[in-house]
Amino acid sequence: MGKFKFSKKNVYLFLVSIFLIWFITAFLIYPNINIIYRTFFTEGKFSIRAVSKIFNSPRAVKSLKNSFVLAATLTVTANILGIFVVLVTEYFELKGSRFLSIVYKIPMVFGGVVLANGYLFGYGSNGFLTNTLVQIFPGLDPYWFSGYIAVVFVMTFACTTNHLIFLKNALLNVDYQTIEAAKNMGAGQFYILRRVVLPTLMPVLLTCTIMLFQMGLMAMSAPLMVGGTDFQTIGPMILTFSGRTDSRDIAAVLSLILGAAEIILLYITTRIERKGNYMSVSKVKTKIQKQKILNPIVNIIVHILAYALVVIYLLPLLSVVLFSFTDTYCITNTTFSFSHLTLDNYKRIVTDIAAYKPFMTSIIYAGLASFLVIVFVLICVRLMLKYKNKGTTALEYALHIPWFIPPVMFALGLVMTYDLPRLIMFNMPLLGTMVIMLAAYMVVLIPYTLRMIKSAFSSFDNNLEDAARNLGASGLYTLFRVILPCIMPVILAVFALNFNGKLSDYDMSVFVYHPLYPPLGVIIRNNVVNNQDVDAIALNLVYSVLLMAISSIVLYLVYGRGTREKKKK
Amino acid sequence: MIKFEDIQVKYGETIVVDNLNLHIKKGEFFTLLGASGCGKTTTLRALAGFLTPSKGKIYVDGKEIMDVPVEKRGIGVIFQNYALFPTMSVYENIAFGLKVRKLKKDEIDKSVKNVADMVELSREQIRKNVSQLSGGQQQRVAIARALVNNPYILLLDEPLSNLDAKLRKQLRIELKRIQQNFHITSVYVTHDQDEALTLSDRIAVFNNGKIEQVGTPNELYNEAKTEYVCNFIGEVSRLGTEVIKHVNKVHGENILREDANSYIRTEKVEITRVMEGMTELEAEVINREFYGTHIMYTYKILDSTIKSFVKENGLPGLNIGDKAKVYMNPRYIMQY
Repeated sequence: MGKFKFSKKNVYLFLVSIFLIWFITAFLIYPNINIIYRTFFTEGKFSIRAVSKIFNSPRAVKSLKNSFVLAATLTVTANILGIFVVLVTEYFELKGSRFLSIVYKIPMVFGGVVLANGYLFGYGSNGFLTNTLVQIFPGLDPYWFSGYIAVVFVMTFACTTNHLIFLKNALLNVDYQTIEAAKNMGAGQFYILRRVVLPTLMPVLLTCTIMLFQMGLMAMSAPLMVGGTDFQTIGPMILTFSGRTDSRDIAAVLSLILGAAEIILLYITTRIERKGNYMSVSKVKTKIQKQKILNPIVNIIVHILAYALVVIYLLPLLSVVLFSFTDTYCITNTTFSFSHLTLDNYKRIVTDIAAYKPFMTSIIYAGLASFLVIVFVLICVRLMLKYKNKGTTALEYALHIPWFIPPVMFALGLVMTYDLPRLIMFNMPLLGTMVIMLAAYMVVLIPYTLRMIKSAFSSFDNNLEDAARNLGASGLYTLFRVILPCIMPVILAVFALNFNGKLSDYDMSVFVYHPLYPPLGVIIRNNVVNNQDVDAIALNLVYSVLLMAISSIVLYLVYGRGTREKKKK
Repeated sequence: MIKFEDIQVKYGETIVVDNLNLHIKKGEFFTLLGASGCGKTTTLRALAGFLTPSKGKIYVDGKEIMDVPVEKRGIGVIFQNYALFPTMSVYENIAFGLKVRKLKKDEIDKSVKNVADMVELSREQIRKNVSQLSGGQQQRVAIARALVNNPYILLLDEPLSNLDAKLRKQLRIELKRIQQNFHITSVYVTHDQDEALTLSDRIAVFNNGKIEQVGTPNELYNEAKTEYVCNFIGEVSRLGTEVIKHVNKVHGENILREDANSYIRTEKVEITRVMEGMTELEAEVINREFYGTHIMYTYKILDSTIKSFVKENGLPGLNIGDKAKVYMNPRYIMQY
């Protein structure tokens, strides 16, 4: 009974355990420990010189202040916008609400570098709106769209995705009878909204607030591209400081501050989640019914605001899409003309290697990382479900590490750890290789993939596995013929969402990309800097359109069809 | 054919089954009967190989099977919830075991169609996805899937519990027919005594991880060895001391112990003197339940509440409050 058998199963377990320990130590633990080490130890001795360097660098201090100010501002502005958007599409009855609903979903496909690029194309120093405005107001500074206000503006309109998902869900779970009861007692519409509805949404709003604060702190592309010289935040600072070896320790300290903030925010979120029950899908007595705004003046004002928002959302998007189909003349002069419509820009993507290389690079990296992380997580989840011991518990905790580490800090960790040969990496430096970015993508995808695949298995009937074994199937046969087909919908959804998420990544890629194979995010950013080159601008437009198209298709396939099938039943 | 020797099964530190010794004969339809949580399914799963006992040995045909992995035991299992593979059709489900063994395509096809005919699944039905079938049809698929592999032993874990009463009765007969046709040694787990009594050659009554009695349905019903079995199987009325004393008085000697727990089966209480040696008792009707086929009367007799039923033959019968005479044969009174 206690003999160790050299069975296939035990050999497999042994090899997998070794691999997991190596992978987790090398990629999840070591880089982060290294950051802490570089912060608190200079030349092998404990010192807070690195920390004091921060306070001696006015740029670093200012960037810290700017980040927290941005984060705080964002919680106010994006919350207001998010609440307004959800109320206007789900609570109140507005004309054309279906159209509004679709337009307000734009941030789900238009974000990151693509969004920043879109705004700059419209409002930047060479943007078509800027040029129009300069003609009307000749004294206008062409760089009007930069700095704190611009970053807040861009991020406010980009960060309502959580409201659209969580707040909307919470609103739909409100018991309509409570609203009817309040009406019956004589309460006015907005009184009900303030005193009856919003209080029940508080837990969700709190979570959204925390997430907004997180987004503000961790922001990279918006401050980098739109912040200008006056408004620098932590993310871009880390990037700048990591570029020179003598300032890397400052970068380390800054990223550690981000990491600490992240852990505190996550802790607060978990405490809130434990108290509130708002995520439960309990059956509600009566579903919410949309109500018309009774006061006619308020009604008109709300409609105007709602459609003004539509203009703000659509303008960058439409301009990017439309101008992608124009020629260099239109783009240079930022004037739109139907006679100059052409597919040349798109043709370049297919014919010019310089144009499609970044595209292919991103697709391969994102695809490979998404695939590998699923395989990795599947192996881990099977181990965790089959063997409940200290080892598997430690494994589960370890796999959550990337959740606590901001991507920027993790990327910096990789850079500062594997720029030199390390024993754990078999004395091969990873920086400058093609592998490091793949590893980076994979690691940050682990926590979400783990959560999704674990939940897929929890709804999987274990009797099926017993039945298959009883009918003679081996473990692998059962895995491929019985288990995977059952959880395939979840696997495909996770793959699609992960792929979509990493396709236009910038925040991490900029630290670890291979110089000869820059991915899309990096190229788009570089093309913006290079804004005198019309071809570069045109290419950015095409990339943006293609990325948005891919995002839309992915989101539709993952979320859109599901609801339709439910309606059929 | 199947022998359990001193089997003990633990879940964590809790002992669920202890000192289990059982011998099941070849070709027998053997039932493990008991309330929920008594250890019957655990015993079945140990035989199938889904769990390993902490003590003891299991033998099949004289060979110890504890080291044999699940997939090599040649035992067919029909699960309570059928465990049909949801992404596959009926055909693919049934063919699964054959495909695993890499049989030829036309061999598989012949076997699947054969067994489908035996469980009365049409050609059209076997092409459908399993989720499109009704409960009764899914159950047949589960049976077919297990049988097509010609197992030596068939294990059935409460296969009828998810079906409505009428379907259950129907499929009960079918199961018995299939088992008799194939002569497969079958081990059946249930908490339903009607199933156990009608289907089994022998039954083992489980109570808290231990076996109370093993016997044929008749033995368990009429010769219950323990008070638990007597109460668990069939309907009994508890007889108080006064009733026992009355019986003894009428017979002039102490044919029954007056300190023992005494029971009589409901159907053994008559309202006419149907045979020799019956004791007459004065009764008052305190309840009357109409069951369609019969009427169940509850009588107050001396210190006891005794139930008896009368076939519904169209006659008016008794009403609550009526006085009646009731007859019992002392040899049917069970004492512990």
